[in-house]
Amino acid sequence: MSTIAQTAPRAQARRRMRVDGWRWAGRIFLVFMLLYTALPMIWMLITSIKSGFAATQFPPQWWPDEPTLASYQKLLDPQNSVGQDFLRFFWNSLFVSTVTTILSVIVAVPAAYAFSRFSFPGRNFLFFAVLLRNMFPAVIFLVPLFILMRAIGLINTHGSLILTYLTFGLPLAIWLLKGFYDNIPVQLEQAARIDGATRFQAFVMIVMPLSTPGIIATAIYSFIGAWNEYIYAYTFLSKNEQLTLPVGIQRFFSENTTDFPGLMAASFMMSVPVVVLFLVLQRYFVRALTEGAVKH
Amino acid sequence: MTIVTGKAEARRRVQPGRSGALRRIWQHRADYAYVLPAIAVMLIVIAYPIYYTVELSFFKTPPGLQLRDKTFIGLDNYTTILTSQVFWKVTWNTLIWTLGSTFISFVLGFATALALHRDFIGRGVLRAVLIIPWVISAVAASYIWKWIYHSDFGIIGAVLVGLGLADQPPNFIDNVSTVLPSLIVVNIWREFPFAMIMMMAGLQTVPDQLLRAAKVDGANAWQRFWHVTFPHLRNVSVVTMLLLAVANFNSFIIPWIMTGGGPSNASHIWITHIYELAFGRQRWGVASAYSVLLFLTLMTLGYFYVRALSGNERKEGSA
Amino acid sequence: MTRIALGSAVLRGTVATALIASLTSTSALGAPPVDLSKWSPEYVRSIAGTQDFDTAADCAKVTPLDYKGRLTFWYQGVFEGDPDLLRQYYKDFFETFRKTYPNIQLEEQALTYNDLLDKFRTALLGNAAPMAVRLQILGGTEFASKGYLQPLKPEDVGYSTEDFWPGAMKAVTWEGVTYGIPTNNETMAFIWNADIFKRAGLDPNKPPATWDDVVKYSKQIHDKLGIAGYGLVARKNAGNTPYRFMPQLWAYGGGVFDEATPNPTYEQVQLDSPQSKAALQASYDMYVRDKSVPVSALTNQQADNQPLFVAGQLGMMISHPSDYNVMLDLQKKATGTDKDKAQTVIDNMRYGLIPTGPDGKRAVVFGGSNIHILKPEYVEGGKVDEPAAKAIICMWTSPEWSLKMAYAGSNPGNLNGFKTKWMKERLDNIKFLDVTTSMLPYGIPFPALPQAPEIMNIIIPDMLQNALTGAMTVDQAADDAAKRVRELMGGL
Repeated sequence: MSTIAQTAPRAQARRRMRVDGWRWAGRIFLVFMLLYTALPMIWMLITSIKSGFAATQFPPQWWPDEPTLASYQKLLDPQNSVGQDFLRFFWNSLFVSTVTTILSVIVAVPAAYAFSRFSFPGRNFLFFAVLLRNMFPAVIFLVPLFILMRAIGLINTHGSLILTYLTFGLPLAIWLLKGFYDNIPVQLEQAARIDGATRFQAFVMIVMPLSTPGIIATAIYSFIGAWNEYIYAYTFLSKNEQLTLPVGIQRFFSENTTDFPGLMAASFMMSVPVVVLFLVLQRYFVRALTEGAVKH
Repeated sequence: MTIVTGKAEARRRVQPGRSGALRRIWQHRADYAYVLPAIAVMLIVIAYPIYYTVELSFFKTPPGLQLRDKTFIGLDNYTTILTSQVFWKVTWNTLIWTLGSTFISFVLGFATALALHRDFIGRGVLRAVLIIPWVISAVAASYIWKWIYHSDFGIIGAVLVGLGLADQPPNFIDNVSTVLPSLIVVNIWREFPFAMIMMMAGLQTVPDQLLRAAKVDGANAWQRFWHVTFPHLRNVSVVTMLLLAVANFNSFIIPWIMTGGGPSNASHIWITHIYELAFGRQRWGVASAYSVLLFLTLMTLGYFYVRALSGNERKEGSA
Repeated sequence: MTRIALGSAVLRGTVATALIASLTSTSALGAPPVDLSKWSPEYVRSIAGTQDFDTAADCAKVTPLDYKGRLTFWYQGVFEGDPDLLRQYYKDFFETFRKTYPNIQLEEQALTYNDLLDKFRTALLGNAAPMAVRLQILGGTEFASKGYLQPLKPEDVGYSTEDFWPGAMKAVTWEGVTYGIPTNNETMAFIWNADIFKRAGLDPNKPPATWDDVVKYSKQIHDKLGIAGYGLVARKNAGNTPYRFMPQLWAYGGGVFDEATPNPTYEQVQLDSPQSKAALQASYDMYVRDKSVPVSALTNQQADNQPLFVAGQLGMMISHPSDYNVMLDLQKKATGTDKDKAQTVIDNMRYGLIPTGPDGKRAVVFGGSNIHILKPEYVEGGKVDEPAAKAIICMWTSPEWSLKMAYAGSNPGNLNGFKTKWMKERLDNIKFLDVTTSMLPYGIPFPALPQAPEIMNIIIPDMLQNALTGAMTVDQAADDAAKRVRELMGGL
C-alpha cells in the first residue's frame, strides 16, 4: 500500500513537471515571438518622433533627446502641401479599398454559392480556374495589363486598380465562402422554400446571415490586399491626384536624400486603418476560417 | 459528391451526342449567371496577359528598338535562359527563399497558435499584436527592416556593439552568404501571422472529447498532439503551406526594395530577375520566356494547391 | 594633364564656332553666349548679375501668352528629402507658368528619380506617355534611338544651341539630330568632414589630390577613428552608383568605351583595360582589403550615405552641393542639443574638386536633365499640343528658371542663367557653389547610346558587386563586365 501511495503522487508530480515544462517553453517562445514582432514596429515609432537630424545619429538615440511630433503634424496638416497630398492619398486608398471590398463581396458571394449548391457543367473547371489567379505574380502582368487597361480606357483611373485588386481577393474569398455554404444544410433553404420563399429570398434570409463571418473575413482580406498594394498602383497611375498611399510614400525619397522620420511616420499612419480594422474584426476572421474553410 | 460524379455524369452525357451536353448547359443557364461576374473579372485580368506573355516569349526584343520591331526567334529565349549561369543561381535562390520562408513561417505560426491555444490573461492582446505584421504593407516593412539591418547604422548592430558582443556591426545584407537568410527573416516576420491564424482556426476544430479521452487513456501532451491534434490539422496545414509557398514564390517587394537582388545576385529570385530583365534591361522577350517558365512551375505547384483546396470534396466524392 | 589640355581645346573649338554662330544667328534673344574658354569661379562671379531677362516676353515669341491648349507633362521632381528652397522654386515655377499662360491647361506629374525611367517605359509601351517629359540625362538617347521623341533643339523655343553647354548637347543628340534641350547641368564635387580629417591626422583643409590618396586617407581615417573613410556606393539599379564610380574609372584612364575622349566613337570596349582594372582595384582595396568604407555600400544609394556623413560616421564622399542645403534644413528642424551638433557638422563641411587619377586626369559625370517632346502616336489621346509643350520648355530652359530650378544643387542648362541676378544671390548664399561650377569643364557625359542605362545601372554595379563580394576577382569582374558590354553592343 505504501509503495502505491508513494508512486502515485510522484507520477503526478512528474506529469505536472512535464506539463510545466511545456508551458514554460510556450511562454518563453511567446515572449520571443512578441519581441520579434513588436521591436521593429517600436523602432519605427521611435524613429518617427525624431527630427531628421536625430534620426541619423550613430550610435542611435534609443529614445530621442527631444521627441517631436513634427512629422505627424506635417502629414496631417491640410494647410501645407505634404499634408494635402498625404490626406488625398489616404482618401484615394480608402476609396479604392472600399469599392474593391464591396465589389469583391458582391462578386464572390453568388459565385461561391453557385459553386457550392448548383451542379452545372464545367463547374469544377471554372472553380479551379478562379483559384488559379493566385498563381500569377503581379510583376509579369504589369505591361500587358497596362496595355489592356489603356485599351479599355481605365488607365489613370481608380477603375484599373479596382478591377485588378478584385482578382486578388476573389480566389480566397470564393473558396472560403464555398466552405461556408457547403456546411449550411440544404434542408434549411428547402424549408424556407416550402414556406413560399423564392430561391433568392431563401438565399438572402437564410444563407446570407449564416455566412456573415465568412463575408466579413472576405471583406477584410480584400480590404487589406487593396490597401497595401504597391506595384500596380505604381504602374497604372501617373497623376498626383489619384495616387494611393503605398505609392505616395515614395515621396520621402529623393535622388540623394531620404526623410526617414517622415517615411516612418507615414508608414505608421498608413498602417493604422488596416490594423484597427483587423483588430476589431479579427475574431470573425478566425471564426470564418474555423467554420468555413478549415472544418471538415 | 461533386468532382467524381460530375465527371462521370458528363461522360455519360457526352456519349449520346454533343447536343446532350449543350442541352445540359442550356438547362443550367441561370446558374451561370451567379458565377459570370467572377469568371469575367478573372478572364479580363488573366487571359490577355497570358496570351501576350507567351507570344512575346518567342521574340527577340533588342534594347535599341521599339517593342513592335521585335523579331521571331522561336525557342531561342528559352535556350538562352536555361543555359545561362545566372538562371541556375537565381533558381537556387528562389528555392531557398520559397522553401525557407514557407517552412519556417508555418512552423513558427503553428507553434504560436499552439502556445496561444490555452487561455491566459492578456491572450487577446498578445494575439492582436502578433497579427499586426501581416497587416502592414510590404513596402513599409521593407523600409523598416532595411533601416534595422543597416550594416553601418542598424539598430541590431548598435545593440550588439553596445553590449560588447561585437567589435563592429554585423553585416547582414551586404554579404553574399547572409543576405538571403536575412531577407527570409523579414518575410517570415510578415507571414507567420497568417499561418498562425490559419492554425488557430484549425485547432478550434479539434474535438475536445477526443483530447480528453486520450488524456484519460494516459497519453502525454506530446502523444496527444501527435496522435490526435496533428492528424486533424493535416488538411489545413497543407493548404496553409501551399498558400504561403505560392505567395513566397511570387513575392517581389521585400528583395527588390531591400537589396535590388544584390549583392552580386545573391538575393535575386525569379521575380526580381524578371523585373530587372524587363524594365532595367529592356529584354522583354527573355523576360517573357522566364515568365512562361514561371507559369509552368506554378501550375505544377497549382496542381497540388487545387488538390488540397478541393480535398474536402474529393473525400466526399469518393466516400 | 592630357585630359585637361584636350578638354580646353574642345572648349576653345566650341567657343569659336559658338561666336560665329551667335554673330550670324537670328536668335530671338541675340545674347552673346557665355565665354567658356575663360571658365573659372572668378569668371562666373564676374558675369553673375550682369543681365536681366524677361522670361514671359521671350516665351511669348515662341507661344503667345493667350494661347489656349492642354499639356501633359512628367518630370523628375523634388520631394521631401530635397532642400526646402528647391521645392519652393518648383512650386513657384508651376504657379508662374499658370499665371503666364492662363489658358493652357497643365497636368504635371512629378516622379522620383528611380521611378521615372520605368514608368515612362511602361507608358510608352501602352502609348500612354505624356506630351512632354523631363528626363535624367541617361535616358534621352534610349528613347530618341527608339524613335519615341520628336526632334527638338534650342532654336525651336527661341534660344540658340550656343546658349547651352556643348557636353550637354551631346547627350541629347542621336545620329546627328537633336532631340531635347538641357534643363540643368549637374557636376558633383568632393565633400569632406574637416573635423574627421583633423582627428585622423590629415590636413583638414585639403582634399585628397588623387584617387590613390583617397584610398590612403580612407584607410587612415578608418584605422585611427574606426569609422568609414570614403563613401563608396555600389547598389544595383540605382541611378547614383555610376555617378560615384565613373569619375574614378575615368580618372584612372579607363572607361566603358572611349567616352572620356573629346570625340567618342563608342566602338572599343575598355572596361577590361589595365586602367579600368586599376580603378576597380582601388574600390576593392577600400572595401575588401582596408575595410575603410561603409559596409552597407552594396545595398546603399547616396541617400543612405548622406545620413552617415551627417552623423559624423563618414569622412568624405562625392556629392552634390545641395547636400549643404539639406544640412541647413536638417539643422533648422533639429531640436534641443541636436541643433548645436548639426551646426558642428555644417561648420566642418568642406567642398573641393574631385580627385585626379595617377597622371592628373580629373573627371566627373556630366549629369543633369533634359526636356523632350514626344511623338503624337505614343501619347495618351494621340495628340501633342506643340505650342503648349514649347511654352513650358521655353520657360523651364529660360535663363531665369533653368537657374532657379537648379538653385540648390546644379548648374543652369541655359548658360545665360549664370548672368542673372539669382546667380549672384546664389553665389552669396550657397557656400561651395563655385566648386561645382568649376567641375563643369571636367564633366564627361555618359555614352550617348541607347544601351547606356543598362551599362550604367546594371553592368557597372554588377562589376563592382562581383569584385567587392569576392564572387569574382577584380580581373574576372572587369573581364565579365566587358564581355557583357560587348554582348550588349553586339545586339544580344
